Amino acid sequence: MAPIRNTVDRLDRPSSYAASKNRRRKHNRDGDEDRRERSPELDEKLKDATTLYVGNLSFYTTEEQIHELFAKCGEIKRLVMGLDRFQKTPCGFCFVEYYTHQDALDCMKYIGGTKLDERIIRTDLDEGFAEGRQYGRGKSGGQVRDEYRREYDPGRGGYGRALDEDTEGDMYR
Amino acid sequence: MTDADFRREDRRDRGGRNRGHHNNRKRRHQVGTDEDDYDGPRKHHRPYVEPTIAKLRRELLSIADSAVKLPEDEARDIARLLGDNFEEDELSTEFFNTFIQLVVEQPFKIPFAAAIIFYANDSKPEVATEALNRTAERMQQVLNAGQWKEFKLLLRFFACLQSLFEGDGVFTILQQLFDSAVDLQSANENDVVGLELVKIILLTLPYAMVSGGSRLQAQVSELLQKTDIVASMRLPIESLVQSYSGHSEEKPPPYHSVIGLLQEQLQDEEKTGWKFSCIPRFSRPVPRNLDGETLPSAPTMHPFPTITIPSPVNPGPKPLFPEAYFSLYADQEVESVPGTNNIASLLFRDAIVDTIDQLDFNRTAVGKFLIDLDCYWQTETFVKRGTAFDKLRDVADKSTWKPEDVVVDAVFSQIFKLPNPEHKLVYYHSLITETCKIAPAAIAPSLGRAIRFVFKYVDDMDLELVNRFVDWFSHHLSNFEFRWKWAEWMDDLNRSDLHPKKAFLITALDKEIRLSFAKRIRSTLPEEYHVLISEGKDKDKPDFKYDDDATPFAAEGKTLFTQIRKKAPDADIQETINTIHTKAAEQGIGDVLVPSTDALVTSICCVGSKSLSHVLSCINHSKDRLLSISQNSEAARRQIVASVVGYWKDQPGVAVNIVDKLLNFSILAPITVVQWALCDHLGAGEALTEGWVFEMVSNTVTKVTNRMRQIALARLQKGIQQEQIIMVEETLTKERESMRELFNVIKDSVKAVAEGAADTLIEKSGSGELSAEDAELIRAWGKRWYTVFVRKAQVEESVVGEEAVEARLRLLSAEAEPAAEPMHEGNGVAAEAANGDDEML
Repeated sequence: MAPIRNTVDRLDRPSSYAASKNRRRKHNRDGDEDRRERSPELDEKLKDATTLYVGNLSFYTTEEQIHELFAKCGEIKRLVMGLDRFQKTPCGFCFVEYYTHQDALDCMKYIGGTKLDERIIRTDLDEGFAEGRQYGRGKSGGQVRDEYRREYDPGRGGYGRALDEDTEGDMYR
Repeated sequence: MTDADFRREDRRDRGGRNRGHHNNRKRRHQVGTDEDDYDGPRKHHRPYVEPTIAKLRRELLSIADSAVKLPEDEARDIARLLGDNFEEDELSTEFFNTFIQLVVEQPFKIPFAAAIIFYANDSKPEVATEALNRTAERMQQVLNAGQWKEFKLLLRFFACLQSLFEGDGVFTILQQLFDSAVDLQSANENDVVGLELVKIILLTLPYAMVSGGSRLQAQVSELLQKTDIVASMRLPIESLVQSYSGHSEEKPPPYHSVIGLLQEQLQDEEKTGWKFSCIPRFSRPVPRNLDGETLPSAPTMHPFPTITIPSPVNPGPKPLFPEAYFSLYADQEVESVPGTNNIASLLFRDAIVDTIDQLDFNRTAVGKFLIDLDCYWQTETFVKRGTAFDKLRDVADKSTWKPEDVVVDAVFSQIFKLPNPEHKLVYYHSLITETCKIAPAAIAPSLGRAIRFVFKYVDDMDLELVNRFVDWFSHHLSNFEFRWKWAEWMDDLNRSDLHPKKAFLITALDKEIRLSFAKRIRSTLPEEYHVLISEGKDKDKPDFKYDDDATPFAAEGKTLFTQIRKKAPDADIQETINTIHTKAAEQGIGDVLVPSTDALVTSICCVGSKSLSHVLSCINHSKDRLLSISQNSEAARRQIVASVVGYWKDQPGVAVNIVDKLLNFSILAPITVVQWALCDHLGAGEALTEGWVFEMVSNTVTKVTNRMRQIALARLQKGIQQEQIIMVEETLTKERESMRELFNVIKDSVKAVAEGAADTLIEKSGSGELSAEDAELIRAWGKRWYTVFVRKAQVEESVVGEEAVEARLRLLSAEAEPAAEPMHEGNGVAAEAANGDDEML
């Protein structure tokens, strides 16, 4: 049966980021065969997803604060703070795992895009946390997103770190 | 940099490129991939022609949204376009799928959707036939499934087309619904499904009257006479849904049942000639032929589709309760919302609440619909948007209804819905935030008046609702820089901590801090409030009491701390504990496990104080030891809770969380938590004023009732095997008993306080330690607690009690018989159920 299309968009769908991440991965792997297989796999993975990626947190936001807000959507099974790979300090993201898929969807609908610690946070359905995933993937050890940030953000360690390193030189060459 | 700057820069870059590279990602992307594309295809760009199918969907979905276009014109345009392309199967299927979805998801637009069909009927009656058939098909499905909301909305669509029906039209089914309601009511005095049916009848009438006109009046009057008996009756179960107790000095608004009000309002309308002036109207088109001559033909009439009401009626997936009409602004001196005597109050409320409920998956869209409320009702129904409340007095001879007040009123009615809200409360929180973002200047003042109103009556409000309110209030402020005019409540700071208003302030600040941190919250408050935020709240790591050598067993406590931190072998830890036991026994302490448990749990809390994850890992490490303690001694079991709360006394929210996790580990049993909170910690009853105690007890109860419902659900699975039935029944009976025991412990304890019969309360008031005034305050708290937990217990009985489960089982076996309808393809009932809140109970 074809699913009924709602009359307005749903906020509990995976974001374009999750989709594009998947596309990028396909791109790197090349080969059409691979391409055909991956996409349903992602849908399949997120079909029962109970985990959310939470972004744009302040580096100073604590687990307790996150718990306080996210428990409003259901009991939290696990909360994993995102850490800087080298300094092992929070670097502005986390994973929140609920017991049910419905709670995770509700969190997308009701908490994503609202404020925590006076910052608008981002939520995205996630295929699930695996050991080691809680570290930033940027060169500096933090999140890639932060390295290219142009605004000064006191809640996230000032200016983007990559700006003073590689790209800065690029600009004046 | 703002978005606008980005855009400007982008455009400039495209024109004269290579003017120096900006180091942003977008730019770098462009260099590699887009350079050639940008100017290329754009030159040969053909104007985009929107496919008809897409155009129809777009125009249909946006009908009446615009403040500049006349919905009537839009309806005619859509009707024409649809009529011209009706023969394309794919197009008409797609159109009607969207159309029906619009009816059930965007109730504001039902009259406009009906207008499309009404106009289409003039040139192409087949369109109307198709619309009626498809809607009827969906309606039968939702009726069979007991989806009352969808049923009501589809029925409303028919009501709006009443003038196109032969004979009695929609009244045929209203009559049938009434007969079913009577059957249900006579079978059970507390039947709520029948009430729901009558409510649906009453809410359908106004729309049918506006469309059908005067020829219906006799039938309506007759129907109203019949519904009167059902609607004006008060069910015993209704006491469960009242928002105020009615004991305080400030007289809160009286209780009204929705159905009772509807009945009275319609009877009033009958006397004043059925105006229903808020419902949008559409002019009858004068049919013309191609030469512009008017044609005398009357519209083609249609038979009303056949709808069968199943017997027995499927009560639906969710337990129903009578509904109270909650309003913050109703019946005040200046009418900023329709009075409770005006049918408009319930027509608005019903449509707004349905919009909120049906579209919970996109709060931004809901927020927009709510702000645009005045677009969807007859013009001049409301005063101009954003009109200040003070200015309403100056409005002469026109409506003074403020759309913002009507909206805020409706959202709060959902936060304050008893026994349970339709959606998770946080949905309403974020919806209010959304409306504030869309129209801050219009909404914020209404919200401010709402907050003041609730605060004024907070002493008398149902305690569960007060806790919902404080949770919303603190969360809401956290989204808006914690700004509130605290100064206006300054006088309430002088009250006793036992006073409900003071207790509210204390809890609100604690909740704010939990979402933020103490220093930040202090900075948002007048200095007078700072006494409510203890210094202890500033400490990331609370003091470890064994660091003070005056604390009994200080040396052993410190040793335990080190051992736990270093993950010392079990034997070493046991040795320290044994030392405590020996010393305690020498001191004549009866249960030596109590001091050792205190030292152990306090040490675990302290080692794990960095975060919830840390303490969880510590607990996990000592799990076996903790489990064995709780199996061996009742006093030690309760000591676990006491130690956690003792360590985190300045940040009780953390303690509540840890206790919750200990329940998950089964280290604590629900009854232990309740016994600690309402016996050990009760004092003279002061504990009942603490927001976190209520939170801890009600979280514990919810954990038990959720589990209970899951077990009941397992019993109600279709096709369950006989041996499974026996197993599930056993668990069900056992768990049901312990749930009842839990409720009884709570009820007995708070009842004793309410009646002034609790030991410590008698002692303290006797010795003068408690003033007569304070003792009275405490007793009032006891009453409020009692009301809440009696209700919770009754609600659970109505869902998982023996009778309730048996009734469900009977329905299940009735369903299993061949009466089952074949499922039609492509209608999405199943798909929808999978998406939404599909709990069976």
